[in-house]
Amino acid sequence: MQQRRKLSQKQINQELLSGNLKTPKWYIPTMLFLGFFVVTGFAVILYMFNTGLGVTGLSRPVYWGLFITTFVFWVGISHAGIMISAILRLTQAEWRRPVTRAAELLTVFSLLTALFFPLMHAGRPWRIVYWLMPYDFARGIWPNIRSPLFWDPIAIGTYLTGSTLFLYVALIPDLAVLRDRTTGWQKVIYTILALGWRGNPRQWLLQTVAGILLSALMLPIFVSVHSIVSWDFAITPSVEGWHSTIFAPYFVIGAVHSGVSAVVTMMALMRWLWKWNNHIRPEHFDALARLLIVVATAWLGCTFLELIFSVYGREAPEIALRELQIFTWPWNLLFMIFLFTGYIIPVGFWVFKKARNNIVIMFWTSILVNVGMWLERFLIIVPGLARKQPFTFTWEAYTPSLVEWYILVWSFAWVSFLMLLFARFFPLIPLFETKESQVFTSETKIGRATVPVIYREED
Amino acid sequence: MATQTNIAKYSKATSELIGTTTIAPKKIKLIIMILSILSILGIVGIVLKILNGFEDKSAWGYYAATISFLLTTAAAAPMVAIAPTIAKADWVRPITRIASLFSVVGIVTALASIPLIFALPPLIVDETRRRSIWFEATNYSPHVWFALSIFGLTLCGLGLLYSSSIPDLAAMRDHGTGWRKKMGKSLSRGFIGTDGQWKSLKMRIGMMGTFYFLMLMFVNFLFSIDFALSLVAGWKDAIFPMYHAMTSLQSGIAICILAMFFARKYWGMENYIKVPQFWALSKLQLATTVLWFYFFYSAFIVFWYGRSASDQMVINLLIIGPYLPVFLGAFFLEFFVPWWILVWNPVRKSIPALAVVACLVLVGVLLDRIRIFVISWSTYSNEVIHKKFVPEENFPQFMAPSVADIIVFIGLVSLSALIFILSTRIFPLVSVWETHQSLLLTKVVKYVRTHVIAIGKPD
Amino acid sequence: MVTENKESKFKWGMAVDIDKCTGCQACVLACQSENNIPINTEKNFKNARAIEWIRVERYWEGEFPDVKAKFIPILCQHCDNAPCEPVCPVYATYHTTEGLNVQVYNRCVGTRYCANGCPYLVRFFNYWEPEWPESLKNHLNPDVTVRSRGIMEKCTMCIQRIRRTTRNAKKNDEELKDGDISPACVDACPTDALVFGNQKDENSRVTQMKNDKRSYTLLDNLQTSPNIFYLAKIDHDKEESEHHEEGTHH
Repeated sequence: MQQRRKLSQKQINQELLSGNLKTPKWYIPTMLFLGFFVVTGFAVILYMFNTGLGVTGLSRPVYWGLFITTFVFWVGISHAGIMISAILRLTQAEWRRPVTRAAELLTVFSLLTALFFPLMHAGRPWRIVYWLMPYDFARGIWPNIRSPLFWDPIAIGTYLTGSTLFLYVALIPDLAVLRDRTTGWQKVIYTILALGWRGNPRQWLLQTVAGILLSALMLPIFVSVHSIVSWDFAITPSVEGWHSTIFAPYFVIGAVHSGVSAVVTMMALMRWLWKWNNHIRPEHFDALARLLIVVATAWLGCTFLELIFSVYGREAPEIALRELQIFTWPWNLLFMIFLFTGYIIPVGFWVFKKARNNIVIMFWTSILVNVGMWLERFLIIVPGLARKQPFTFTWEAYTPSLVEWYILVWSFAWVSFLMLLFARFFPLIPLFETKESQVFTSETKIGRATVPVIYREED
Repeated sequence: MATQTNIAKYSKATSELIGTTTIAPKKIKLIIMILSILSILGIVGIVLKILNGFEDKSAWGYYAATISFLLTTAAAAPMVAIAPTIAKADWVRPITRIASLFSVVGIVTALASIPLIFALPPLIVDETRRRSIWFEATNYSPHVWFALSIFGLTLCGLGLLYSSSIPDLAAMRDHGTGWRKKMGKSLSRGFIGTDGQWKSLKMRIGMMGTFYFLMLMFVNFLFSIDFALSLVAGWKDAIFPMYHAMTSLQSGIAICILAMFFARKYWGMENYIKVPQFWALSKLQLATTVLWFYFFYSAFIVFWYGRSASDQMVINLLIIGPYLPVFLGAFFLEFFVPWWILVWNPVRKSIPALAVVACLVLVGVLLDRIRIFVISWSTYSNEVIHKKFVPEENFPQFMAPSVADIIVFIGLVSLSALIFILSTRIFPLVSVWETHQSLLLTKVVKYVRTHVIAIGKPD
Repeated sequence: MVTENKESKFKWGMAVDIDKCTGCQACVLACQSENNIPINTEKNFKNARAIEWIRVERYWEGEFPDVKAKFIPILCQHCDNAPCEPVCPVYATYHTTEGLNVQVYNRCVGTRYCANGCPYLVRFFNYWEPEWPESLKNHLNPDVTVRSRGIMEKCTMCIQRIRRTTRNAKKNDEELKDGDISPACVDACPTDALVFGNQKDENSRVTQMKNDKRSYTLLDNLQTSPNIFYLAKIDHDKEESEHHEEGTHH
């Protein structure tokens, strides 16, 4: 079911640069709409800084709520980039080519957004900004290296730096194409960014090797970032339901599930907005859906293990926690929605080949997955805090306030805004990868069948 | 494309590979005799252990470690065939048969696990129920479920071996002689290679493979929890089943590499099993090595940081306790040494080096199994099993293996090797039909000034 | 993080005799007064944001007419193995050599991780800027910092009183006797259910109560090594040996 197209270089350039050489018609209204939410969201955040965290629904003992849920959610989405570009590049899968840049871009912007949340959920954000930097700004006190909240910015910062470098290295050849096709101040900027790319064999070799090295180096970071974020929760013995050894792989697999689904959403949008039907084809959705079935099933296995072991010890607070989380209103409804949207409905569709190749179904199921994954984090964080230890006198509930919901909406608008901003000036589908795939693939006749063929170097 | 040269290649392949069932490496009779003697000694050892009774649980610790070692190594080896086949990798075709052949060892494991099932303590002792995943189920739930699952796994593995060998059995019927011809005729059940037969064969292999994977995960889950985790009071470790499954994949890959090495050396398979196969498996071996550390550390950091009573007990008992040298041996041989050897690409392409690393990994996995199972079975006692953690005065002393234990281990490993070698008399070591497939789909073409390999991907 | 310095003469501890506690909440009021704790309105209690460095938990047991009310005052346990200490990213909480877990207000950035780590739920966050009516501003204790919003706070064992008394004793070259120092809650308790003292002094009341056969600590399976010792309520309707009831983990 390979659906390769034969495209000339000129056609590739024309189609993929269509959004960069002039502004598409839908662009300005969309940016205005998103921009409204971005600006008002920032205003709400500033209001919260000014007035205090009392505007949220947080209380005691539920000290962490929507903000930390959304933080973990965005870090999860950021795992899309490395999964798609690094792992599929190292395993030489041809079908990754159209989506590598969009996935890496999603990584960079979702990480940037994720970093906002620990800052804004702190009581005194104006202090946290510099006291968490590895330097003794005040009275010779360095940050506490034993605290997971210090490991978080280190891990996320490393991941962000690596991903940005990765994105940039892969962008250089395309920047050169744009440099050669624009005039005026745009040309000046593209010239500077393209770093003098001429496309000779030496530069190609360096660029390829850099990409492969970065892919290999980013793999351990990819696993460690979400593990470190999960250890924010797992290492504390006081909250039943958090102190579980499976959190690290559980969160990483959940992040891959969430991230790859976000890439599917993005691919569908890219195809519709820029009319890239030649480049983003049903076969890509099919391949991603099959990968997602494996990942989602592994994720479901981890969820199952976590639930079994939480009641394995038969400890009263943990049982009370599960009773709240699974059987008490409104959590029982949220739990059901989480199971259905996170696994049952999407995978139920994805096992059928027709559904996998239908882009509308893939778009909606991937959005459902992310609803489920956001709920998963919410279901882990809040009930655990609401039923912390046997002091039932202090068990409380949590209702997020409007401010918190609006900031959640802001985060989605912010990521989309940044992605579209990037897409206006840089091509979202790598031109050189598309041209490479034209060269690396071919067709041949075997017997009476015409079989697609890929080329690989001889050992 | 059926040129004369290709027909010659096909028939050469067919005759060579079927010939592996008849050729005998030098000294094979001597080896078979030694293995048989050791196997009989092993069975005698098992009988002796049974006669000693099932009351003293610590006497069964090394036996549990042996079963776990056999189970995790031989049962995981077919995954080396299943997973890349599902991912449509082309390099795996020459080695799928060797990997699937390990499922015959499952017969040994299943039968040898029967005494262990009798040795497992019941769930209810003195009218109190110990911790387990079986909650209010009957007293002997673990025993029944494990017995069903291990035999189910063996049947599934044999089914997988049979399904994937049907075309080869047909080739045996057409080109073999003597009893092999008769056996091929009856077992291949009229396979002549029509389109419909190929389609249904591929579907059957896919389904058996997926089924096998699910059964393998289930068996790992049950064995690690019922035969290790729940025997130690207060040991709550949600990642342990996954850790057990991961190390089983690690040793499964290692045993496949070793078998491939021997196939090349003693069965003359140098033209079929070549560097690309070893290179691909070495990358997987490296990945599992790093993953060992990741899973171990995920558990370790939760216990080390949490410092509650049961957390401290787990670290003191299972890591730095009386079996610290065994743990260190496992750490170095499963992670540290293989990691530093396998990071170098030239080493990953060198077949002798990979065989050495495989041996190190197998010894490391054995040490790890000894640590976990001997500790669990020695710690179990009716007095402390209901406590929230095992007090330090109840920690077991280091227990060296008894003579019976050593004889049983050597005997069971010899029996497994014997059965494996005997099964190569029936099934060709390298899959004939898969070799034909790669001959059909792979060829070397000229590309500009160099040569590349063109791989057909018919899907 | 246990940082017990063997050179310090003091290891502060408190004993709470549940049998004597009547649940009158005089300790809660005294603490609020002494430590400039913001005023807890009814809205604060409804939102579960009330700040009570020492709180009295009340549990009902049994059916009418055999209903019993059980009170347990819970304050910061000043754990030697505190789960709240290693998790603060800016070192705003640490363990002193005298056995107290202290909170450094001007360092705290309000991540609330320590509060999640505390199993006794004794850490409180200032969600709003605290406000006092003009007339009440004169009653603020000058020895204690007034915290702004965004900062965690909790029981300090009235460290201002400890410092003042030990400093005066040193200045006047006097020996400190058991009972010289007492936090506000201990002073206010009408039934003498709260006792404060130096655990390193074998003759102090707190050491004797710690070694009493009724003594236990809360949540001991978490191994936090608290420095607050509870003496179990003597229930005349039950056997004396069965006294591990309140607050502990079944």
